[in-house]
Amino acid sequence: MTNRFFEFPQANKYRKRVVAMTGLSLLKPIKSVASLLALSLMFFLPQAGYAQVDEITTYKDENGWKILVNGEDYFIKGMVWSYSPRGQNYSYNLFGQSDDFIRKVLDYDFGLMKAAGINTIRSFTMLPPEWVEYVYREHGIMTVINPLMGRYGYNIDGKWVPFTDYSDPRTREILISDMADFVRRYKDTPGVLMFAFGNESNYGLSWSSFEIENLPVGEQNTAKARYLYSLYEEVILAGKEIAPDHLYSIVNGDIQYIDLIEELVPSLDVLGSNVYRGDSFTDLWARVDEQLDLPVTFFEFGSDAFNARSFQEDQVSQARILKEQWREMYNKSYGNGEEGNAIGAFVFEWRDEWWKYLQTENLDIQDTNASWSNQAYLFDWAEGKNNMNEEWFGVVALGLPDSDGVYTARPRMAYHVLAEAFSIDPYSTSKAGINAHFAGMNMQMLELQGDVAKLKADAFEDDRKLKFTGGRFQGEFVTRGNEQDITEDGENGVEFSDGQMIFLDFAFKPNEQLEGQMSVNILGNVARKRALEFTYGDRGLPLTIQAQTAPEVVVTPGQFEEREITFEDRERVEIYDFEATYKAEDFDVTAFYHTPRFHWGFEGDFFGLVAETTDILGQDIWNAKAPSGIEIQGKNGWSNLRLVAGPEIYWGANPKFVVKYDFKLAKFDWTFIHSEDVARLGEGANATEATIRESRQTTLYASREFANGMELELGGIISATERIDETFDRIDEAGNIYIDEIEFEDTLGFKAKLSFPLFGTQTYVSAHHAGLVAEGGVHHTVYGVTDPSKLPYTGLGNRREYEAGMQMFFGNLMVFPRILYRDNLVDANPFVEPSISGGILSPGINPRNRDADPFAVLNNREARSAEIYFTWDPTGATPFYDWDNEWREDARFAFNFGGTYTEFPTFTDSEQFFFEPTGANAPFGVGLPEEDVWALSSRMIFNTRNNTKFIVRAIRGFEQSTGDPDGGTRDYWELHGRAIWGNGRHSLEGYYMKDAWGPYDFFRQFNVTFPEQIKLDYSLWLGGGLGGISDANAEERATKIGIRALYRTADENSPDDEFLDGANDYTFLTVLYFTYQF
Amino acid sequence: MMRNMIRKATPSAWMKNKFRTVLFGSLLLAVAACDSGERDAGDGELITTIVLPTDVVLDLHCADVGIYPETCVLDDPENPFSTTTIIEFDVNNPDADNKFDLFNSIPAGPNGAKARFYFWATALAQRGSGENQFYTALALHELFDANSNAISKDELVREQALRAYRSVLQNFFGSVTVFTCCPGASPTGEPVPFSIPLNELTADNLYRTDATGLMRLVEGDPILVLELLLDWGFSYQPATPPNFDNGVVSVNEG
Repeated sequence: MTNRFFEFPQANKYRKRVVAMTGLSLLKPIKSVASLLALSLMFFLPQAGYAQVDEITTYKDENGWKILVNGEDYFIKGMVWSYSPRGQNYSYNLFGQSDDFIRKVLDYDFGLMKAAGINTIRSFTMLPPEWVEYVYREHGIMTVINPLMGRYGYNIDGKWVPFTDYSDPRTREILISDMADFVRRYKDTPGVLMFAFGNESNYGLSWSSFEIENLPVGEQNTAKARYLYSLYEEVILAGKEIAPDHLYSIVNGDIQYIDLIEELVPSLDVLGSNVYRGDSFTDLWARVDEQLDLPVTFFEFGSDAFNARSFQEDQVSQARILKEQWREMYNKSYGNGEEGNAIGAFVFEWRDEWWKYLQTENLDIQDTNASWSNQAYLFDWAEGKNNMNEEWFGVVALGLPDSDGVYTARPRMAYHVLAEAFSIDPYSTSKAGINAHFAGMNMQMLELQGDVAKLKADAFEDDRKLKFTGGRFQGEFVTRGNEQDITEDGENGVEFSDGQMIFLDFAFKPNEQLEGQMSVNILGNVARKRALEFTYGDRGLPLTIQAQTAPEVVVTPGQFEEREITFEDRERVEIYDFEATYKAEDFDVTAFYHTPRFHWGFEGDFFGLVAETTDILGQDIWNAKAPSGIEIQGKNGWSNLRLVAGPEIYWGANPKFVVKYDFKLAKFDWTFIHSEDVARLGEGANATEATIRESRQTTLYASREFANGMELELGGIISATERIDETFDRIDEAGNIYIDEIEFEDTLGFKAKLSFPLFGTQTYVSAHHAGLVAEGGVHHTVYGVTDPSKLPYTGLGNRREYEAGMQMFFGNLMVFPRILYRDNLVDANPFVEPSISGGILSPGINPRNRDADPFAVLNNREARSAEIYFTWDPTGATPFYDWDNEWREDARFAFNFGGTYTEFPTFTDSEQFFFEPTGANAPFGVGLPEEDVWALSSRMIFNTRNNTKFIVRAIRGFEQSTGDPDGGTRDYWELHGRAIWGNGRHSLEGYYMKDAWGPYDFFRQFNVTFPEQIKLDYSLWLGGGLGGISDANAEERATKIGIRALYRTADENSPDDEFLDGANDYTFLTVLYFTYQF
Repeated sequence: MMRNMIRKATPSAWMKNKFRTVLFGSLLLAVAACDSGERDAGDGELITTIVLPTDVVLDLHCADVGIYPETCVLDDPENPFSTTTIIEFDVNNPDADNKFDLFNSIPAGPNGAKARFYFWATALAQRGSGENQFYTALALHELFDANSNAISKDELVREQALRAYRSVLQNFFGSVTVFTCCPGASPTGEPVPFSIPLNELTADNLYRTDATGLMRLVEGDPILVLELLLDWGFSYQPATPPNFDNGVVSVNEG
């Protein structure tokens, strides 16, 4: 008995029971040794019972033969069992896996077999003794130990002999010894029904194949066969000497050489045979009875489940053949007035094996090739054609792996027929009863069961494939022009172009653990829409570069010519987005590429280290492909651990990893986050946004909600420690210039926020101290992306900041004032020109920038800001500041109105922009001046009684550029509107902007404005209409046809190449577009 | 128990509890808003005025100082220009002050040689250009001349000067520098700008003593300069009198 025995649940159950009884007995005095002995016996009895080896015997009287197990009748309801996953072949070794996995496989398969009444298995894979015992004890299924005895070659004295020569004395000696070792190894193993040797070895006297083969014609190998059968006798005798209380059999190919068996194997207990004779075993019973007078078992028989004629799975034919075979077998068993030598048999086989045809190829495909012919299987036999499909013999089909990695089995109709057949005991049922039972089988119902299982499996199988799930086609016809071209060239000044684009969407689910989706984008022509509209960056547009090439005629050695080289048809096909999730036991891994991802602000990211990337359409303007990376989210005991890493985990992020760990301590919820850049982003997030230096941050956050509705949040950050000892210069009010260094304390930041109810309001106050380089990420506003606030939030360091806000509710009206006060620890640098006089240098000073200096005063500049917003929303179920409110708002009228006033009392350092030709940032060189800025805005939504919706957004502002100060503060206004009517079928949207920046970020970055900008876009929805649309992405993809017109005028604040020194007053663009979603 | 429940429900207790929380929170806010990180006159080093170096002994702050793309000169504590932004010539604003205005203010002669090196090396570190590299090489050449005589040569600086000249050819072969000349010959009376390839100036500076007025970096027969240039991968057809403006430098094949 091994220690492993005690690992079995049932053993533990017994032990627990005994221990419990021991405990009870300890409550009473144990008076005698007899009691102790009794107790000991009780403890060991269950184990002793399992350790007992079964007594297997044959029994014969005038009614026929039986097998007896421990004196009880035993009819073999057997199955040839194996476990071969997809993609594996005969070399797969289940018993080389972990015990836990083996147990899962065995419990799955043997549980299913037990449910069908199967009581014995034969396996080509030798089950180790402990597992023979396990399946016997756990599932009541016995095992035939079946060494193949050199059937497919053997190792003779260290040398592999592919065709075993049974006449060779040394070979015989080794085989006898080895087979005896098998007997020795298993003889005391509970659950062993018998030993059987070989496998159709009589077919392997001159050739060898793992496949079931045609019966050989002729008896040309009789001489060789004598050696084989005499060897069988010697092996059996050796076995019986070791374990006389077991039965011994051979696995013969049909009853070929039955004469030799009679003559040479007199010690045989049971004739074992592999028989493929169709739905009847014909004269086999009689011949064995006459010549051998032995009980018969079939170690293989059955039918494949593939119809080679109709070329499809044929569960019914397989099931019918098996039904007839078992009916005949029952009739031929003991006590039915016939030969009485049937003792049961082993159906070939349990589960399809996908490796059988070709054996080393196409292992993950179930081959439909029929590799041999057998006329006995009339349902698909045809003259001159093969009809036996090796990979389709299973009574269960090979399914997909389950969550434990165990390949599932899909019961075919044959499984259900067998379960019906095995539900009666042929020994205790009369012949008439047997035949009535088989005749009464509801084959239609059993067929239905098989078909349902197949349909379910097929549906699941379909899910795992890479499926085309849809897509869309976009086409557009574009005209563009400007005043100067039209003045010069008339109609020819208007340029026409067209564009086409296809998205193809795919989904995949190769197994239970892994699923995902991806889209492929294919470009046709690319319409020329710039400068009014940008889409997909420069993708697909011709690219011209200057290159130095050797001249065709070399005049001066080493001199090169400058040439222009143009690349057409670039980047026509690309992966547009991709996401896949692998669900493991303790974690989920998600790979993402250009799919929306959310910030961690609600999960303890107090300093905004992980930004949100949901504006996929905004990225498409620049053909940006963020976010990209992988995320690992722990589960079970690891659920508080999260890791995200990748080349751009949010838009504009450097390649980095971020790890987060949550825990509870002292009634607070804590979050630890570390973010580490591992490289620098190669280019700006959009056309001109500056990249940022590699850095790192570590934050610790604690929060607690109190019963009285208060919430306290505390956070600390250590950031950019790599900049310690970096120098920076500064100037004081007296004009003295200093050179200074970053110290450790400059990397530290602290932040606290207290939220509490106050007289019916929801109020918060917060304070934030950030050292010079204590840079976090984005500030999370109260209402996220729809928050109207223009308070000058920042994630940069070098500040001491206080903020407070109070949400006041008056019925459906909310009033929300907020204030923000911020000072800098070190001010921005002015520009002081350097000079030299008399050998003395006045080095001057320059505005800092974030590349050359460890920090800069930018949007973290000093500020005193206040704002108030009024929000009217009578339908609370569609909150006004929800991200999808534009599509969801159902109030007759809802609006907000408010404004922000900010005093910037100091100037800034220099912003930077990404300069593509050099692939690096460039500073503007000067900062923004001090200024007082303000903005008013309002959003209004009207829903009329006839289901028409109007959305209006108005903005009036006096604000600064985000980069270049040239041109000064801009006084502008904007009016955006949209009308949707006709049950969502018609949409008209547009804007009118006066003296405002252009529609993309870089316009404000370079302080580029236009006197007037107008856009009108009408679309007719040909699909489900806007009523079924819930966000901008879905809106972009829906089927529609429309026309869009953009028009803007230019002045000296507009781009030079558009204003043309006054030669061009206006530029326009019209786009006739069509989107078909399929 | 009932008494406790009543006490908890009273407004005064509720207010007291809230008051404690607000007090605690305010305390934390106050701590969070501490004054650390601010700078005053006691912090850092005052650099409002810096005396330019007048000696001619140069310690290389790093092996490649003054050679593109090395920028370690910005970290050199002896570099007086390390915080100075060198303003490049702006073609869109040609009349604005630029680096040559500051450069021309550095004392002439050997006393200003070291300052010139730091000036141009700083300019090179701030913006990699052929012009900045050429003048860095020339400054090193000048330092070599100033710190060498017939008996003793500053081999360290000579080597660095040669590497700087080589960098002009290898990294900025096609670059030019612009001179203005001869207002008298101009119809407007204004100086006329003209450009000169820096590869020619580099080769000429190495080949001809008169080109720089400095001791040549390659001693001996000038043909040795041609051999050196060949080693670097370039061929030089020397300029000829009287104007010495017809030299040709070419890149050797392969």
